[in-house]
Amino acid sequence: MAWNALFFYLLSIISVLAAIGMVAVRNPVHSAIFLVLTLFNTAGIFVMLGAEFLAAAQVIVYAGAVLVLMLFFLMLIDPEKLPERGGGHPVQRIVGPLLGVILFLEVAAAIANRATSGTTGNATPENIAFVGGSTQAIGNLLFTQYLLPFEVVSLVLLIGVVGAIVLALPERLGERLATISLGHPRGTDLALPEGPATAAPITRADQQATGALEATREIILVRDPDLYTGVGGRTSDVGEGTTQR
Amino acid sequence: MMELTTNHFLFLSAALFVIGLMGVLVRRNLIIMFMCVELMMNAVNLSLVAFARETSTMYGEGFVLFTIAVAAAEAAVGLAIILALSRRSYSVDADEFHALYD
Repeated sequence: MAWNALFFYLLSIISVLAAIGMVAVRNPVHSAIFLVLTLFNTAGIFVMLGAEFLAAAQVIVYAGAVLVLMLFFLMLIDPEKLPERGGGHPVQRIVGPLLGVILFLEVAAAIANRATSGTTGNATPENIAFVGGSTQAIGNLLFTQYLLPFEVVSLVLLIGVVGAIVLALPERLGERLATISLGHPRGTDLALPEGPATAAPITRADQQATGALEATREIILVRDPDLYTGVGGRTSDVGEGTTQR
Repeated sequence: MMELTTNHFLFLSAALFVIGLMGVLVRRNLIIMFMCVELMMNAVNLSLVAFARETSTMYGEGFVLFTIAVAAAEAAVGLAIILALSRRSYSVDADEFHALYD
């Protein structure tokens, strides 16, 4: 048991230090690496608690997939848009840790004074070993009692993926797909800027200014061919805005 | 070395949760705030597993599995929102966001 406690303290100290590093370090990529370290140590603690399957899921899903996703998004975002550390309101920087310490003291008092009550289940280590391990026990639970939530979770994942793709699409492509797939009637989703109804076809100068010509032309064609005739109220100075929308 | 009880795991869980909370409160970078939320979820998962072991049930572990799945979906959607906001030439700064419309 002494070895057990030693491992626990080792894992927990590393994970807490890594969590502090994650919060304190300036570079977001380093934060992500620290978070991976924390999650790995927590997976080790899951193993100590007898939840081997959860430890594996933690490493695969969190440390593998989610963190790689975060790193990808970090690379996709312009670094100049990432705010510097410590720039926020001073009250925020003082009150935040203060509230955290207060909450920790409250929770610690609650844990120290808690009393266990109620009946215990039958998933004792002997029974789990009899079933074949924690993985088999979780499988039994998931595919009998929690079957419906299990299927709903798969639906949630599907919707999450579709939503993420829709949200992260470039706007022009997204609007194009939405226009095609939703079958909007002509012009209902197109807010044209106010202005005199002067005919202003896309000129070579417009094309050179905006840059993305072929794509925008196609989008406009998909949405409303009348735009090309100039009766839609386009003016030359809003040409860029119109082609973007 | 004393024997490990559930309280040890609960204290660790509380510490991780509070560190994540401080990160959410103090940092302004949206992605780091997001990582802190993941850390808080992880802390709660830890306490769920600890309680499951204490009460000799499997419900806590099943719940943690669902939590991990939902957290993965949430991470995808949340990061996509952050990316869409950053594309609109905003910055990834929590203080700069006032609304999600437009």
